[in-house]
Amino acid sequence: MGKLDGKVAAITGGTRSIGRGMADAFLAEGAKVVVNGRNAEKGARCLAEMGAGDNAVFFQGDASKQADVEGMVDFAIAHYGQLDICCLNSGGVDKTGPVASMSDEEWQLEMDWNLNQVFWGMRRALQHMIPRETGRIIVTSSVEGKLGKPGIPGYTAAKHAVNGLVKSAAHEVGTLGITVNAILPGLTETDNLTENGPASAEAMGLESYEALIDLFTQGAAIKRPNKISEVAAVALLLASTSGRNITGTLFPVDGGTMPY
Amino acid sequence: MGQLEGRVACITGGTRGIGRAVAEAFLREGAQVVVSGRDAAKGAQALAEMGAGDNAHFVVGDVAVREDCEALIQATVDRYGKIDILHANAGGAVDPAPVAAMTDAAMQGTLLVNYWHTFWSMRAALAFMIPQGSGRIIATSSVEGKVGTPGLSNYVVAKAAVNALVRTSAKEVGTLGITINAVCPGAIETDAMLDSAPAAAESMGMTYDALKDMFAQASAIKRLNEVEDVAEVLVLLASDAGAGITGSLISIDGGTSPY
Repeated sequence: MGKLDGKVAAITGGTRSIGRGMADAFLAEGAKVVVNGRNAEKGARCLAEMGAGDNAVFFQGDASKQADVEGMVDFAIAHYGQLDICCLNSGGVDKTGPVASMSDEEWQLEMDWNLNQVFWGMRRALQHMIPRETGRIIVTSSVEGKLGKPGIPGYTAAKHAVNGLVKSAAHEVGTLGITVNAILPGLTETDNLTENGPASAEAMGLESYEALIDLFTQGAAIKRPNKISEVAAVALLLASTSGRNITGTLFPVDGGTMPY
Repeated sequence: MGQLEGRVACITGGTRGIGRAVAEAFLREGAQVVVSGRDAAKGAQALAEMGAGDNAHFVVGDVAVREDCEALIQATVDRYGKIDILHANAGGAVDPAPVAAMTDAAMQGTLLVNYWHTFWSMRAALAFMIPQGSGRIIATSSVEGKVGTPGLSNYVVAKAAVNALVRTSAKEVGTLGITINAVCPGAIETDAMLDSAPAAAESMGMTYDALKDMFAQASAIKRLNEVEDVAEVLVLLASDAGAGITGSLISIDGGTSPY
């Protein structure tokens, strides 16, 4: 008997990294899972690796596009008949830089990808969950939702905003059997990190990728990046029945980085 | 296979309320558990009800007394050979009153059972965990450690001190395989709340029912929390999956705390 038997989850950015960790954890506890990503090939590979048969399906879409985010929610409901757990997990930066040299295009992308995605997905999911009086919204925020490092102003602003959105929404639906929470990971060992870390390091004026890892983990008590499995375990708790009275919480998984 | 197979846990104030729910959750996940309390009869009753045989043990002690806190940690190691998990859980508010009317005894007594107990137990446990290179310490703090409810200043101050202790100590041992966290539950109608909340309500100029309603209305869920909410978070923090969470003050309060 799994902790999520009979539940349906949808996860933006679910083919790799933290989202994939959530998908694997949810599948292991009996859920059916829709994973989203931009790349059909990576989606197919993800499904093959998970080997979950009809219990997992890929939805191709760009999490920075409203139609695709809403499309994922609609697809999950159409495909599996309901949506119990909506993980708005995708996020990141493209060509980030300090405020003084930030382009409008990059700023808009970071707002769409990190903030608007969460609003679009949450609104669509809540419209389905409110009449059913049950549901879980889990947002992957970041320690940057409480801190602020040079060189990533858009990401930082968006994650701060996401935390506020989570708190407001949690209070709106608190008596309807729906919880809304954010997980705030510290630097996490993901594919995204290894792929985009070097460029981020350069944007932040750091000597190397290793210097970036060092910078982001020196603020942590554990002096190492977090692991995907550590984030996924919290998502599972929040998604399960055990999480029913935890809402509006900004749950840290950051090795002791944030000051509050 | 339980998530805490082979682990030894010590829980202060573990015969009733949150501590008892945590003890049962830890036992279910395969741990051996020592619970403490002031009342030997309640301890015996808790052991009988838990029915865990040799996997559970009771030690009588008063968390307001340093020697008792230290003896409890030693008794855990004597009984099961080590200590992997400390849940510094006991606490409460002694004679709460507005600051203008707060007695020294009420402030001191509340600091003893919440803050000093956590410090003494943590220090004693770390003496074993640091050489061992592993450990989990979890303090039961409160939403009151993050906010300030009028009439409860002694409890608020004590829990805020616990939170500060957790944040600092977590950084001291962060690279040694030891995590230190606090859980901050919202109001839960435990025996401890039934013991102290009527007096708190009186000091705040309201009935006990009105106090409960005030706590519920401050949350998003408009009801009190339950001990099981806390127990599942404790299992996560105590397990391998919790290795990357430290120095955190985790709200389990139905959306009450502002941060």
